[in-house]
Amino acid sequence: MYRMVLRMAWASLTRRVTRSLMVILMICVSLWGLLVMQGIYDGMTEQMIANAIRSDSGHISIVGHGYRLDPALDKRIKEKDVTSQKISQLFDSNSSVNSWVERFDQQGLIATAHYSRNTVITGIDPEREKLHGNLQKYLVQGEYNFGSKGRGAIIGFKLAEKLKVSVGKKIILSAQDINTEVTSIALRVTGLLKTNNLVLDETAVFIDIGKAREFLGVENGVTRISIMLNDEENIAELQNKLKRALPTLDILRWDEMYPALMQSRVIMKGFSLVVSLMIFGITGLGIFGVMLVSVLERIREFGIMIAIGTGFGQIRMMILIESLVLGVTGFIAGTLCGGLSLLYFKTYGLDLTLFSEAFEEFGMDAVTYALIRPGYFSTAFIAVVIAVLISTYFPLRILRKSRPVEVINEV
Amino acid sequence: MMLIHIALRNIFAYKKRSVITLLLGAVSTALLVFSTAWMDGSHQQMIKNAVEIYSGYIQVTGAEFRESPSYEHLLFDVEKLQKEVESITGVELFSTRFEAFVLFSAGEKAVGGMLTGIEPEKEVSISRLHESLKEGAYLSCSDTNKLYIGNELASRLKVTIGDELAFIGSGADYSFAADKLIVKGIFQTGLFEFDASSAFLSKSYFDLIMASDNLATHAVVLPVDSVQSEQIAKDIENKIGGEFQSASWQQTMAPLVKSMKLDSAFGYITLAIIFIAIFFVVMIYTLLAVYARLREIGIMRAIGTTPKQILIILLLESSILGIISVCIGGLIGAVFAYYFNIHPMVFSGMEEQFKQYGLAVSAIPTAFEPVTIVRDMLVMLFLIVSSTLYPIIKVNRYQPIEAIHHV
Repeated sequence: MYRMVLRMAWASLTRRVTRSLMVILMICVSLWGLLVMQGIYDGMTEQMIANAIRSDSGHISIVGHGYRLDPALDKRIKEKDVTSQKISQLFDSNSSVNSWVERFDQQGLIATAHYSRNTVITGIDPEREKLHGNLQKYLVQGEYNFGSKGRGAIIGFKLAEKLKVSVGKKIILSAQDINTEVTSIALRVTGLLKTNNLVLDETAVFIDIGKAREFLGVENGVTRISIMLNDEENIAELQNKLKRALPTLDILRWDEMYPALMQSRVIMKGFSLVVSLMIFGITGLGIFGVMLVSVLERIREFGIMIAIGTGFGQIRMMILIESLVLGVTGFIAGTLCGGLSLLYFKTYGLDLTLFSEAFEEFGMDAVTYALIRPGYFSTAFIAVVIAVLISTYFPLRILRKSRPVEVINEV
Repeated sequence: MMLIHIALRNIFAYKKRSVITLLLGAVSTALLVFSTAWMDGSHQQMIKNAVEIYSGYIQVTGAEFRESPSYEHLLFDVEKLQKEVESITGVELFSTRFEAFVLFSAGEKAVGGMLTGIEPEKEVSISRLHESLKEGAYLSCSDTNKLYIGNELASRLKVTIGDELAFIGSGADYSFAADKLIVKGIFQTGLFEFDASSAFLSKSYFDLIMASDNLATHAVVLPVDSVQSEQIAKDIENKIGGEFQSASWQQTMAPLVKSMKLDSAFGYITLAIIFIAIFFVVMIYTLLAVYARLREIGIMRAIGTTPKQILIILLLESSILGIISVCIGGLIGAVFAYYFNIHPMVFSGMEEQFKQYGLAVSAIPTAFEPVTIVRDMLVMLFLIVSSTLYPIIKVNRYQPIEAIHHV
């Protein structure tokens, strides 16, 4: 029986080839555009978030209590809050932690004979940073180390241009030490960084963490511990665990450090939803028109079928199958085109170097790699099916009300 | 004339197609008009903010200063320069600044920042520093060691009106410069980075301690009409060129202008995806309407109507529908654009997001530009009419007999 219904549905679809093809093409092209748009926009947002997490906040940051609002040296993480052994214990044995680093930040001034500007001096352990955020990958000149005595500094390339320094040249850092006295140190530039993160490229000054402590007259402690996890899912869980283990410190998730980034993710989601709704609403309208005409022009045909004993259920089934075939074929075609395009952009990226200045303004990379989430396809499938069902419902109701059997008698 | 008559009759006869085409055409035109107004409006607002808060419409610097901002490339002999620039027509005001990065310190706090000597009276007209006053008072020319400081910088240093703070930096002669300053006023422009790093002194006093008399890092020129910034910047360059460089905001803000263009590009791509779907729907409805009339068209052909006449009738139909829908949509879009131009949209709670894009306020007016609206309407009309072309041409290919017999 169902084979018969299927064959009839097929026959009526192929009778109006142009029409059917146009509906399929419509769904295919709109879905294609929608998928590529979602994948690329999401890729951009996530890349921006990942950049900030990798280069700065980590998934979780630990800072001294109140340090975030008032970054003073005496609000750092001290030995009495947590010993280095305890930190190692806490993270090295935890399988959800990918890497962690300690940093020592202090606001200050960087100067040469030509120029001076404000900066954040960051003391790091270069070997650990390698594992943590791949800092060495962004080195464009010089060496990735601070020299044997730690008297070197790695700085952003734009900062270097302004200061007119190159590798091997001397710079002077000034900052306030633990006793609130202003102190200075002369270091040599050992390397230059280019990260595409405007703030880092224009202001970053990395020095050896031990040197930073010595320079600022601090015996122990760090200002921040940044932790990267293997899986973003575990952030909240680890945050809670750390809050219990380290009650005297502030444990912050990346989205607490950068609320703007989380907001861009939320806005992007809302934006995708609105665009998707509009597109599926419009395509639904297209399917509706085609199905309505296709039902109405066959009304006598249906009348005769009912007169010779076909149930209305079967006719309904037939019409539903017709529209589902259109919808699903369009979906498959659109998914194929969209999926393949996304795969291309995921592998090779969308190169917008032409606009790189503009991207820097937003803290983004010039090359965007698309994301492919299974959710894109499942949501699109559900949306297509719903659009099809709704747009077939009304023609069916009209058909039912018009009493097909009586229509046969009309001329 | 008869053709128009037939076309109009057909429009009324096929109500469903007409209504859907009108509806989709109107909605998409309104959408396009309003989105453009919104994007242009927010971009203009961002640029206007960035330009007017501090950097100014035209900046004059030493020839190489913009590439390497060091004391070697200062503006020397400012007084002479000022006379020359002010003699150019279209120049309203010429005001100098001297920017220096210094270390501020107050009590137990030390923070790096930018200390700038300004001409307080002139600055009132060229920037929004004066309007951004939050507490205390703005500077005056006769002020000595009185400081006008950004809100975030003040809170980082934990100082308030009347408090004392010190700074160290290097003067224009590369000598060591330091002094004690008293906070006279606190400002908040809304540009977070700017508020967290800037402080201002009256230039007359600044010159004393920084040895910068008759020197400046840059000068800001206020044009009589800001639209002509680019031309006036060129005029200045022509007159004083060589030793000096004159740049309009389009140059000084190039990355921002470019990023606004990029943002618009993404906006238009998104709209294009929506319009593709609409294009197909209009095409489908035209196809259905035209095919429903296939027999009629066949008969018309059989009794002597030429294919050209039929083409004209069908095109007239879609053009009339297109024009009506575009007018309705354009009007709706324009009304919204106009309304939100006068009553800017306020986004409370999104300040964080806006800060990231350098927006100092959370109220954004849409742009209301009739020329742009008409452009958008024409684009949509072209889209709507062209989406009906394929069905129209296809139906015209049928032979009369074929068409009459078409089921």
